Amino acid sequence: MNSLTASAAIATGRVQLANVRQGALVTARLRALWIMVLFIFATLTACVRIAQLGMFEQTPERTSLAEALLPSRGEITDRNGIALARAFASYSLWYNPKAMGEGGAPLVKTPEEVARALVGIFPDADYADLVARLKAGKPCYLRRRVLPEDANKVFALGEPALEFPREEQRFYPQGSLAAHVLGYVDEAGKGHVGMEQVLEPRLLDPAYRGTPTALSIDARAQGALEDELGRGMMETMAKGAAGVILDADSGEVIALASLPSFNPNRSDLAYNDLVFNRVSNQVYELGSTFKPITIASAIDAGVVTDLAVRYPSVPFQIGKFTIHDSHNFGSSLNVPEALIHSSNVVLAHVADLLGPVALKHTMEQLGMNERPTIELPARGFPLWPRGGSEGGKGDWARLTTMTVSYGHGIAVTPLHLASAYAALVNGGIWRPATLYKVDPAHLAPGRRVFQASTSARMRQLLRMIVVDGTGRKADASGFRVGGKTGSAEKPGANGYRKTSLIATFASAFPMDKPRYVVIVMLDEPQATQQTSGQRTAAWNAAPIVGRLVPRIGPMLGVTPDAHHDVDISDLSPLVGSGEGE
Amino acid sequence: MMVSANRFRSIGWIALLLVCAALVMVMAFRVNALRSQVHRTEQQIVALRKEKLYLETEVETRANQQQLKLWNDVEFGYVAPTASQYLSNERQLAAFAKPDGPDSPEPIRVASADDAIAAEAAFPSVIAGLAADIAAPVSKSDDEEDKPDAKPADAADRAKATANLGARLAMVTPLKKDGKDDKPGKSKAEKNSKAKDGDKKAGLAKAAKTAKDDAAKPGKGAKLAAGKTEAKAGKAPAAKSEKSAKSAKPAPKPAKGGSKSAQ
Repeated sequence: MNSLTASAAIATGRVQLANVRQGALVTARLRALWIMVLFIFATLTACVRIAQLGMFEQTPERTSLAEALLPSRGEITDRNGIALARAFASYSLWYNPKAMGEGGAPLVKTPEEVARALVGIFPDADYADLVARLKAGKPCYLRRRVLPEDANKVFALGEPALEFPREEQRFYPQGSLAAHVLGYVDEAGKGHVGMEQVLEPRLLDPAYRGTPTALSIDARAQGALEDELGRGMMETMAKGAAGVILDADSGEVIALASLPSFNPNRSDLAYNDLVFNRVSNQVYELGSTFKPITIASAIDAGVVTDLAVRYPSVPFQIGKFTIHDSHNFGSSLNVPEALIHSSNVVLAHVADLLGPVALKHTMEQLGMNERPTIELPARGFPLWPRGGSEGGKGDWARLTTMTVSYGHGIAVTPLHLASAYAALVNGGIWRPATLYKVDPAHLAPGRRVFQASTSARMRQLLRMIVVDGTGRKADASGFRVGGKTGSAEKPGANGYRKTSLIATFASAFPMDKPRYVVIVMLDEPQATQQTSGQRTAAWNAAPIVGRLVPRIGPMLGVTPDAHHDVDISDLSPLVGSGEGE
Repeated sequence: MMVSANRFRSIGWIALLLVCAALVMVMAFRVNALRSQVHRTEQQIVALRKEKLYLETEVETRANQQQLKLWNDVEFGYVAPTASQYLSNERQLAAFAKPDGPDSPEPIRVASADDAIAAEAAFPSVIAGLAADIAAPVSKSDDEEDKPDAKPADAADRAKATANLGARLAMVTPLKKDGKDDKPGKSKAEKNSKAKDGDKKAGLAKAAKTAKDDAAKPGKGAKLAAGKTEAKAGKAPAAKSEKSAKSAKPAPKPAKGGSKSAQ
């Protein structure tokens, strides 16, 4: 029994020992396996981390840098990269009544004293308004966009309640330059009037706002245009002035000015009558500047084949109206003479021969029956003459055709005229005007309005008007300017007003190979000493072009050359002497 | 024994693991340190760019078109240049050199550079060589002693002018492509450097060749002239060595640079 139990005990002890050994072995293997797994895991982690550090870690940093430099609103530049509008952290003047703690007076001095000192720093500030705001004790902006030196002066007042937070605002380094093209951004950050409104989605898009948007404007030409227009406006005491410089081939607007202008930097004051754009929004009867278009249409249609043919130039009656000229030019004139002296009568005869269908077609082809094609939101609809039949959509009446031929009875914007003149001189292709910089390789297709030969003839005729006719004061030496004056009476309550004129000079240069079209318009110029007591375009609008072209020509790549000109020798013998409008 | 070995091994593994972890940590720290440094630098860049934009805008604002116009009206009074101030082509420019009429006085030259040397240096090897060739027999042994002195000075002038011309026109077109055949004008120093270079690699050749050619061109004419005199007077070899050394004056500099780069 004992031995049996003992043997059993030994047997179980052995078995147990064997089990323990096996168990220990399994545990050891398991541990080794765990350690191996851990080791592999650690190695893998290390490798992954190294790989991650090496490859992926830097990208978020880079985007943060790009983001930090991304403006809140994209920059707008001119065609040469000069900044016209940019997001800029400028100082504001903020009134914080709680700066000196709760209770007690918010200001060290009296509100009146502080307001007086502020008016001393900002002369245009309203004293009563400032006092009211300072007394009200509510936090508010006293002024937005404060110059650093003015901020220093305000700081020197020693008022802790006047703070200068730097805020991203829209800033126009060139001041009021091209204000009507750019428009302005209001306090809520919304663009108005010009390209600020048109480009808003792009300017705010994070994908695009990092890169500046180039306009077709040339800041130097724009500056010169505004300067010369301003001078002309001042000399003639005109109500307003408008000017546009257009690339004759591409339709790019190189400069566009409407005076008086506004300062987009003062967006609080910007919304007033001055934001009205005279170039693209206001329609005018542009008068005699339409005459070359009529003649081109007649040459193109084969109505005028011989420029020596003479037409009667004595006033004639049609219906209730009498068509007459500003002066008496004798009994008859040929076409070059009619253009040089600006004869309404001859043009009426030519238009009568041309007929309403052809003239209307030309005007439609030149886009005179629709809003001007440009990106600006403010585009005026022309006063397009109604046809005599088919509910106004049919052909023009005979009288309408005649008045349209010399630019009356039809009112368009100066921009319409600029595009039409570009087609007139560039070989006959009409292209829409654009404010975007155009790659010369990707010009808008445009449409042919005149034959190339007609355009060549018109270049001669326009040059003759400047050499011998009413545009003499625009003849900048060496620049081969060609153009046509137009002085249209403004319509009033009782017909046309004799003393309220729209004086326009529509021109292009250099006439041997036109590059730029320049339109200058004065609204109600007065007869002054500077204009020799005259109020017609020959005396006020043409001299503006004469001064402007030498300033902008070399900058725009047109070198003056006094030995070079368009050949007008075949037309010169046709012209007698005389004075025109 | 088995157990201790096993334990030893596992301790080893753990130690290795710890070392790896420590290394990873050290690296992570270093990476983080570097990253924060980069971040700080980026912040600095952002701040500086903003400052730059601010200053740029200020300058643009102060010098905007209207402001410039005001300054011009008050201070400068600049006007656009007139048509007469432009020249459209070289013919118009050349027309200024034409005398106004027959028997008109020479135009007054305010300042002038002696361009005779430069003009000569432009066509040195052939013309100068021929000229010397023709001149040599005419001027016989009367002035033999003067000539060696005069000629090298002349040659040195030309060599200098050639070197200067290269600098002035920013390009020297070697008339001879192969530098090997320019034996006559080669100086000893040059030969030595050549010998040192031995293999004469392309990289060296380009730099040295122009200098060599420049030196060789005037040298050739002088040598030809000297060759003639040598036949008549025994003094010539001394003159020759002196001459060639002088003629090669501009050469050592580039040659030296060339050999350096080759080494």
